[in-house]
Amino acid sequence: MAAQDNVEPLVVLQPISVDTRSPDQTGMLVLVNGLLVAVLVRLDAPEHERPGAWFMEVGLGRLAGVRAPTFDTLEEATRWMRRRVRGYAC
Amino acid sequence: MQDALIRKLESFEELSDADRAALRAFVPRVRNVSARTDLISQGDTPSDVHLILDGYACRYKMLPDGQRQIMAFFVPGDFCDLNVFILDQMDHSIGTISPCKTVEIPRAAIEEITAHHPQVTRALMWCALVDEAVLREWLVNIGSRQADQRIAHLFCELLQRLEAVGRVTDNSYAFPFTQTDVADTMGLSDVQVSRTLRALRGLNLITLKHRVLTILDVEQLKAYCGFNPNYLHLKNARWSGRRQVPWLSSVQGG
Repeated sequence: MAAQDNVEPLVVLQPISVDTRSPDQTGMLVLVNGLLVAVLVRLDAPEHERPGAWFMEVGLGRLAGVRAPTFDTLEEATRWMRRRVRGYAC
Repeated sequence: MQDALIRKLESFEELSDADRAALRAFVPRVRNVSARTDLISQGDTPSDVHLILDGYACRYKMLPDGQRQIMAFFVPGDFCDLNVFILDQMDHSIGTISPCKTVEIPRAAIEEITAHHPQVTRALMWCALVDEAVLREWLVNIGSRQADQRIAHLFCELLQRLEAVGRVTDNSYAFPFTQTDVADTMGLSDVQVSRTLRALRGLNLITLKHRVLTILDVEQLKAYCGFNPNYLHLKNARWSGRRQVPWLSSVQGG
């Protein structure tokens, strides 16, 4: 367990279309060490406060029920995901 | 100003001349409070009961991670904290959403009047019961309704509560809440609130312009979220005769 804490989690993004009953359809599956932990969706509807930002539509496991901030870029989202799941033995 | 309170309480219980005289002996303090200001904060020792005469306020709690949960909205005519004055320390905060005019009724005055005037006590209990009923419905809302129904339900509830105090014109009412306020109330994210407002607009059920919410089709919106106003007890059969006239409209500017 202690050894795993020092290993940087491998975060992989895979494009996916998501039904949100809104124009926000462009999504990314977020896999950490091969396990699905979240679905990110780009905010394309003009009504949003930050159009173009990325929103964590769903969180799984450790991210379940977490109210995440919206992210300006996928890089920022990835950094946040990595920080949240670091030390978490997937 | 005391007349406003008397009318409010008389909508629940018949008061005697002695009850009314006792209520008039209150020395209430009227305060104008800016928007986004705490009337009382978590950790404070409560001393007064706050009655909202104008504007909107809320009851909320801050979590250690900075997340805010709103547990109640207060509109004109609502006591913010009828019973919390008994507490030694506030376990939550009460803050304004918009600029408010409030009345502060000293704790001692409430204790004195409830000790000697059972009808007043019963009327105050009515107020507390309705507050609890609203809280129950909000619990159902958060636990069992989908995001768009939750928000639609809130819009229907506010319509009914504001109508009862004469604050609705052509199915429109002031809506000073931000998307974040609604999100923090309904256990949703700002994004979900934004999408829901878009969907409700798209269905021609509401418009929201310049902080005024208009419900375009009340019956449709009620059907959409399965709204049943019974928990508000606005048309209690026993008192319906006396509760038709919004008590608050007569004290505007009071």
